[in-house]
Amino acid sequence: MNLKVSAVAGVPPLLACLGLLAIWETAARVLDINGLPPAADALRELPRILSDRESLLNIAASLRRMGTGFVLALLISIPVGLAMARSLRVAAVFNPLLMMIYPVPKAALMPIIMLWLGIGDASKTIVIVLGVSLPVIYHSFQGARAVEEKLIWSAAAMGMRPAARLLRIVLPAALPQIFVGIRTGLVLALITMVTSEMIARQAGVGSILFNALDMAQYASVYAMIVIIGGLGFILDLLFEGLRAKLVAWAEPGHDIAVGTA
Amino acid sequence: MIVIEGLTKSFEPTRRQRHLALGDLSLSIAEGEFVSILGPSGCGKSTLLYVVGGFVPPSSGKVIVNGQVVTGPGPDRGPVFQEFALFPWKTVLGNVMYGLREQGVAKPLAESKARALISLVHLAGYEDFYPKQLSGGMKQRVAIARTLAYGPKILLMDEPFGALDAHTRTGLQRELLEIWERDRKTVLFVTHSVEEAVFLSDRVVVLTRSPGRIKAMIDIDLPRPRRRAELLVDRRYQTFVVDIEGLMDTLGQARQ
Repeated sequence: MNLKVSAVAGVPPLLACLGLLAIWETAARVLDINGLPPAADALRELPRILSDRESLLNIAASLRRMGTGFVLALLISIPVGLAMARSLRVAAVFNPLLMMIYPVPKAALMPIIMLWLGIGDASKTIVIVLGVSLPVIYHSFQGARAVEEKLIWSAAAMGMRPAARLLRIVLPAALPQIFVGIRTGLVLALITMVTSEMIARQAGVGSILFNALDMAQYASVYAMIVIIGGLGFILDLLFEGLRAKLVAWAEPGHDIAVGTA
Repeated sequence: MIVIEGLTKSFEPTRRQRHLALGDLSLSIAEGEFVSILGPSGCGKSTLLYVVGGFVPPSSGKVIVNGQVVTGPGPDRGPVFQEFALFPWKTVLGNVMYGLREQGVAKPLAESKARALISLVHLAGYEDFYPKQLSGGMKQRVAIARTLAYGPKILLMDEPFGALDAHTRTGLQRELLEIWERDRKTVLFVTHSVEEAVFLSDRVVVLTRSPGRIKAMIDIDLPRPRRRAELLVDRRYQTFVVDIEGLMDTLGQARQ
């Protein structure tokens, strides 16, 4: 029974991929434009890129920056979100700041940050931190605000101090909601990583992509897009596995919503 | 021993509005007494319980528990809420152990005490279940065991069976009485069911519509241990229920 279900579950994504490739291939052949090579050409580029030492080092460097930015963002955003939800004063301080940062495309800040910190890792990491922070703060805030007051009272009656309640009651109770924000944050980390490398183009996945674009190597461009998409897919799969383990206790209904950059 | 002196509680939903939930309420509850608070919805009966629990500060007046003025929550007063308020990330065993561990009880001892309480509330075999896997009645049994675990002298029960179906409800009332008749903790029990209040209590306190003041206090001098099936045909039980229902009706009509 289980086997049957999992076999069926694997089929729709596979069909979606094949469908997309078929549309791509047909469109490329029918339209016959330079900027849209057939899917087969792009896919043929994949083994070349993935066996090239230089490309792999670039991908690894990108992922390292993304990981650093992502972890830093979580370390800052989760406590901020929780504190905002539990204290009107903290919320009053952070709310206007967040509302100002919210509509600004984070990659647009990249040139300015580059003026301060150069085109190295620091600038790119900061942009990634900015990109990841907002959804994580928002969902941590919502999650912590929705925590049933009586859950906290129950812990208080046991003799738990207020500071401990935030860490040991509010944080775990808000965790399913926080994970929704983290999942969105993960996607945004990938997006801001690529865009930051598009602007500060000295290394990384984004620089390979946009350098190839400049040189009109369209098959490589599309191959890189496939690789980035694949990275996103794998990261999301790993994350979902982790989430399922950590919040298996949660009631269903914490549906995942992926936001935009 | 709980002494409530001149307690008032008002809320300010907006800056201009003031809602008086409890108006000048005084009440003494003896040690080992089972007292139910009855009243129309919105009369502040739950608020009264939260103030005694120290979860909500009074606007004026005070609550004295065993000679000490209440300034906050404490393990001498254990709450049980209508919403169960179990820690969803903890198993049944983890929930029941939580208060004991919080009190500094070593893990092996806390676990054996928790297991005993879990069988007391008829949930042996469910130790490793998470709250989401349990029915409402089972969740409330866990919540009662969790509160009993850290040994509060006073139980504060806020419509604990209000969210349960009638059958589960009467079952849990019986179980609660069985547990209570064993160790006779002081119980403050908020409910809107007259039958439940009469069945369980030594004394029923009826509050007026908001602001809540004491309308009547009725001593329920029915013999214990009480059996529901016997009480239902008992004239005195029926008289208590009918009289209090009548009293509640007059309160209900005040503003409807």
